[in-house]
Amino acid sequence: MTNEATTNDADAVFADATQVAGSGEVMIELRDVVKRFGNFTALSGINLSIARKEVVVVIGPSGSGKSTMIRCINRLEEHDEGRIVVDGVELSRDVRNIQEVRRETGMVFQQFNLFPHLSVLDNVTLAPRQVRHLRKRDAEELGMAMLEQVRIPEQATKYPGQLSGGQQQRVAIARALAMKPKVMLFDEPTSALDPEMINEVLDSMKDLAREGMTMIVVTHEMGFAREVADRVVFMAEGQIVEVGTPEHFFTAPREDRTKLFLSQIL
Amino acid sequence: MTLTNPPVLTDVNPVPPPEPLAEPASGPLDWLRRNLFRSPADAVVTVVSGAVVGYILYRLGRYVLVTGRWEIVRANLKLFMVGRYPTDELWRIAVVLAAVGLLAGLIAGFIHQRHVVAGTEPARQPLGRRLLTVFARLWPLILGTALLLSLTSTIGPTVMVTAVVVAAVVGRLLGVRLPKGSLALLVLAGVFGFGVAVWFLTRPVGWDGWGGMMLNVFLAVAGITLCFPLGVLLALGRRSKLPLVRAVSVGYIELFRGVPLYVLLLLGFLALGFFIPTWLEAPGLVVRAVVVFTLFTAAYVAEIVRGGLQSLPKGQTEAAQALGLSTVRTTFLIVLPQALRNVIPALVGQFISLFKDTVLAAAAMGFLDASNVSGLANAQDAFRGQRLAAETLPFVMLLFWIGCITMSRESQRLERKLGVGTR
Repeated sequence: MTNEATTNDADAVFADATQVAGSGEVMIELRDVVKRFGNFTALSGINLSIARKEVVVVIGPSGSGKSTMIRCINRLEEHDEGRIVVDGVELSRDVRNIQEVRRETGMVFQQFNLFPHLSVLDNVTLAPRQVRHLRKRDAEELGMAMLEQVRIPEQATKYPGQLSGGQQQRVAIARALAMKPKVMLFDEPTSALDPEMINEVLDSMKDLAREGMTMIVVTHEMGFAREVADRVVFMAEGQIVEVGTPEHFFTAPREDRTKLFLSQIL
Repeated sequence: MTLTNPPVLTDVNPVPPPEPLAEPASGPLDWLRRNLFRSPADAVVTVVSGAVVGYILYRLGRYVLVTGRWEIVRANLKLFMVGRYPTDELWRIAVVLAAVGLLAGLIAGFIHQRHVVAGTEPARQPLGRRLLTVFARLWPLILGTALLLSLTSTIGPTVMVTAVVVAAVVGRLLGVRLPKGSLALLVLAGVFGFGVAVWFLTRPVGWDGWGGMMLNVFLAVAGITLCFPLGVLLALGRRSKLPLVRAVSVGYIELFRGVPLYVLLLLGFLALGFFIPTWLEAPGLVVRAVVVFTLFTAAYVAEIVRGGLQSLPKGQTEAAQALGLSTVRTTFLIVLPQALRNVIPALVGQFISLFKDTVLAAAAMGFLDASNVSGLANAQDAFRGQRLAAETLPFVMLLFWIGCITMSRESQRLERKLGVGTR
């Protein structure tokens, strides 16, 4: 939310997606990133820079490559061309680099992907204990703090199957936060939720943005984009079509594709 | 102002009030009428099938209680159970069984305590109720043991069973007091203890002096213990990204699933020397049988486990990877626990199969296992030419059935406890 530098002169600044907002310190950098699945090109030359503490919301029609893009950032998908640098570490074949990026990058999935055989607290403490090698007591203290942050400490001893969708997604957020990541990636975090549960998850995400977390959020929640995003990225057919502040984006989009998309969903 | 009542439609299609439903008659006679004699055809089927079943039951009961010459079983009970294991050394078997009872009790107590802590089970129940629960859970084993004891003439077996029961009860009482992370330790103690037990039991007789049901149980336990890790590794290998590992795993699995077990056992018996360098002493027959069972069953276990691995949604691995867990940790902490839980029924089915197939090893390699004791007993002077296989073979069947039904019931219980299929 520290986008003071993002002037109102939206057109001038945001024509170039590689221009970063905020302090100007680059957290994530994608350069000419290409990803293919067989003959299908999912990403064809993505350029995007994201500043520390910036909140970027990615929108676009389905199949436009939004999810693929953020899945490339923590190497759940391997990009075929271009460079991806996260906090100074370039993603390459080197497993150590991949592990380092994944340690610093939290991810929240559309389907929650909690571990059903572990209790809520064990879900949250697993990675701190196994990856950060925290002692059990310290990890559980940390885990409870994270569950309090998403406002469900009372569910700690339950199993994921006993929680509602909204609660599960908040546990998933707590699980990612327990690794003290520098970046959080959200892949349609509310798309699998019943309508009445969407807000509790969005509230947790807003808290996080307010605390200055660097976030990339793929979502269809335009209200969230308007309220929280520093920048909105519109993607179509594997390319970034337009980037801008929410005001610019929702009031004066430049590209026809953007206008068409917005007219369809708003 | 007066309100006029709305016109009431009467006498138009008058609907009689429904008859009050007749109370369903509920005596035993009514039950019979409803379920067995609803129509003449029903009655005929009931009478005919009742007569057939009654006749079979009558013949069976008469055979078991009156005409069966069970003295052949009584006379050879020790042979059936432990083969030619020296009588003076039988205490060793008692010690091992007591240790097994102790460990089982410890594990049961430990798991019970974890459930109490989690609030899914009450801490205390009246003793009578607890005994009833144990009986409901293990009745085939308990009744089977009681039957065996009733066939014995010496005090030894009763002392042995008492020792095992006492050990189990002590274990159960101690298990409740074990600290939280003890399960891995208990499993380790079991595996280590198995090795010690084998050493302890083989001291007086060596490998090949084993016999009777003890040999069948040993072959099964050894085969299951060894084939399980190998099978899991093969399943993981078959899904490996490394082409060589994958090729070796697939080759192994398809080879061993494509040949008959009996032929493999014969090969182990007759031609193992071909694969063993001459300077190495060829292993004893029991070891060969264990090796064959392990190699053979591992291939099946691998395919079962692979099914479990494939049933896991991709999101589970992705979530673990996204948290920075290494491939090894993802496999052992996230993937395998869930995959194995999902295939418990199939795995136990395979293990039951292995237990029963141990008689094939006896046939191929000439062990004096429970099934072969039957032939031996019928060749004894006292019983020769009297066709008492009709007594000895059903007895062997009963012994196997007790083992299999217990495994099957325990696996079903485990499934319920772990919530397989409910998620």
